[in-house]
Amino acid sequence: MVILNNSELITVKKTELDRMKREAMKYTTISFVSIILFLVAWELLSRYGIIAENIFSRPSELFKTFIYKLSNKKPEGNTLVTHFFVSIRLALTGFAAAVIIGIPLGLFMGFFKAMRLYFMPIFEIIRPIPPIAWIPIIILLMGIGMAAKSFIIFVAAFVPCVINSYLGIQLTNPTLINVAKTFGASKWQIFTKVCIPASTQMVFAGVRVSLGSAWSALVAAELLASTSGLGYMIQMGRNFIRADIIIVGMLVIGASGALFASLLALAEKRIAPWRTK
Amino acid sequence: MKIMKKIIYILLPLLSVATIVLAWVLVAAPEESQMPGLAETGAKFIDVMTNKISGATLPIHILVSLRRVLMAVALAMVTGVVFGVLIGWSKLFKSLAYPIFEIIRPIPPIAWLPIIILSMGIGESPKIAIVFISAFMPIVINTFAGMRMIDPLLFDAAKTLGANKRQLFFNIAIPACTPAIVAGMKTSVSNGWMTVLAAEMIVARQGVGFLIVRGMQNGDPALIVVCMFAIGIVSALVSVGLTKIEGVLTKWKNA
Amino acid sequence: MEKCVTRFSLKNISKIFFKKNEDAHVIEDISLDVYDNEFLVILGPGQCGKTTLLNIVADLLPKTKGEVIFNFEEDTDPGKLGFIFQRYALFPWKTVMQNVEMGLKLRGKNKKERRVKSQEYIDMVGLQGFEKSHPKQLSGGMKQRVGIARVFATDAHVILMDEPFGALDAQTRYQMQGELSNIWEHKKKTIVFVTNNIEEAIYLADRIILLSGAPSKVKAEYNIKLSRPRSLTNNDFLELRNTIAKNTDLVL
Repeated sequence: MVILNNSELITVKKTELDRMKREAMKYTTISFVSIILFLVAWELLSRYGIIAENIFSRPSELFKTFIYKLSNKKPEGNTLVTHFFVSIRLALTGFAAAVIIGIPLGLFMGFFKAMRLYFMPIFEIIRPIPPIAWIPIIILLMGIGMAAKSFIIFVAAFVPCVINSYLGIQLTNPTLINVAKTFGASKWQIFTKVCIPASTQMVFAGVRVSLGSAWSALVAAELLASTSGLGYMIQMGRNFIRADIIIVGMLVIGASGALFASLLALAEKRIAPWRTK
Repeated sequence: MKIMKKIIYILLPLLSVATIVLAWVLVAAPEESQMPGLAETGAKFIDVMTNKISGATLPIHILVSLRRVLMAVALAMVTGVVFGVLIGWSKLFKSLAYPIFEIIRPIPPIAWLPIIILSMGIGESPKIAIVFISAFMPIVINTFAGMRMIDPLLFDAAKTLGANKRQLFFNIAIPACTPAIVAGMKTSVSNGWMTVLAAEMIVARQGVGFLIVRGMQNGDPALIVVCMFAIGIVSALVSVGLTKIEGVLTKWKNA
Repeated sequence: MEKCVTRFSLKNISKIFFKKNEDAHVIEDISLDVYDNEFLVILGPGQCGKTTLLNIVADLLPKTKGEVIFNFEEDTDPGKLGFIFQRYALFPWKTVMQNVEMGLKLRGKNKKERRVKSQEYIDMVGLQGFEKSHPKQLSGGMKQRVGIARVFATDAHVILMDEPFGALDAQTRYQMQGELSNIWEHKKKTIVFVTNNIEEAIYLADRIILLSGAPSKVKAEYNIKLSRPRSLTNNDFLELRNTIAKNTDLVL
């Protein structure tokens, strides 16, 4: 005997699902409204002179500057679009090199004792030095051209890739390795068919940190020694006392970083849809 | 054969260090190279440890940098924990504050430098402000994650023991997310250290970041290298120290 | 003849978990009475909703239909019920003593009172000497003893136990069954004990309510008249075991 007959069931379910939908909508609306209120408050406070408008340009100003800079080279010599692509190119070159060299290195270090013993000390010495501290010596040795800046980004992105790939291999569940051994797998097969796939999550985590590191290093390098790029643009914004350019630049930098992070997350979903969590 | 293996295993790390030294010597050897040699660097190190350069010896510069980090991180911890806990506990607060946080988060702290200098000048406050920004975010993220990852069973147990909402918050939620807060503190300090260097490189008259840029501007490569090592050593020590503190504060945590 | 007071009743409890794709009908229709100071065991195959049922009684989960009616002097609140969890649910940052006194602390009792009472129950479960240990240092059996002490220290009228020995190894399990039986005989309380283990049920219960597989209903009720302490190899015990086993639904 079923206590809830069909029509009762449908009603109860509908009320329950409705309630959940309404609750989710409630919070989304609050978020939405709070952002709008924030922007409106900012705009008004600026118009009435409560916030210095030469420091916190109002949203309307920012929007105008953004549109303007998309195609205009003034005041610092290049359009926003050019700056954007210059920065991206730099960041991607250094980042790609770090990933291509760093991940295999880390994986090999994790599995083969000889490689670990040789490379680990080098890493332990390099690791504590923050990427930013490398900038002066690299500029001194390599100048301020593209190569120097790409190298700085490479240095910033390299260490997380290696370390996380290394850890990924080291943390492979020993039971999985034992299972492979009972099937008669060779050392190389264990490496390629068990350890490497098992480390995918850690490797991606390392790449994520690498990306953030690279992007940060790019901005730092461009602030210190550059003639184009987003970092250069915001530095010039300061020189010309144009807070609106600075803030637009900051937001573009932030948005680009977020964009890449989500592209990476998408790639991870494609390559490694299984997640051992 | 086994002994051969053992010997190789002992030699490899030594070879590793030797490689670095060799690479250094090779880069520094040519006449026109800017890279300082080993001896030159060693001499500079001693010089800077004992003599004043730009107003203070190296250790003092390091302390200046560290002090800035400490102050900013302390401030960030207090505000960050409160913010993170509120976001994690109250759905309402989260929907109000989180979106704006998520928009600001992807901006690298260093990118804040120009606007901060424009609005705050070049005294101590801009440096502390920017280190604060870089230290604030990991704390919020970690605290928030810590709150979300609390085993719901603990809340159930407390409810059956008679806890009301306020008691659930103070007696269960806060202690349970402490390990996450401590982990956030570690990231905070290391972020802060990196940011203070960047800030000092761009606007400072003291501090180890300033020193390293001075080396670059005055064409004093030995100073640059000495500073790099000093920074590295301090980073390593700070990291080890924090891990020890973490161990003490969370000794009840399951393996 | 003893008068049987009903401590609480379940009337037509039904629970459905609504999800986007498929709803989970966990409990179809359960009605039962729980008498004062009895050791009631709810026995059922895996995944039949017995844990869900207990959570509904403790107000940790909402019910889809039905009522839970309590018979206490004051208003009911979850605090009048004690709950022992299969996964112990000890507070890892607190010591054993602090865990045991937690219920009293939440109710505002002062430190002296808490300590005295908690110590009494720490002794009762045999954990003297471990007052300052943290849960991470304890074995499974010891953790559950803390769980038991914690609940008993609150003087709850009714204690709900959700497969409390399910995570323990066989040896420890037998030991804990014996100890629980002992404790119950000295500190009479109303206990509702959930398990999927038939021997455990017969060993401990005054009365067994057998549930069907999900969506669950009450399938049968058994009054256990064996004298305590019971023996797992006694003939009557084994006969009872067979009867119940034949009646139990098989769940894949």
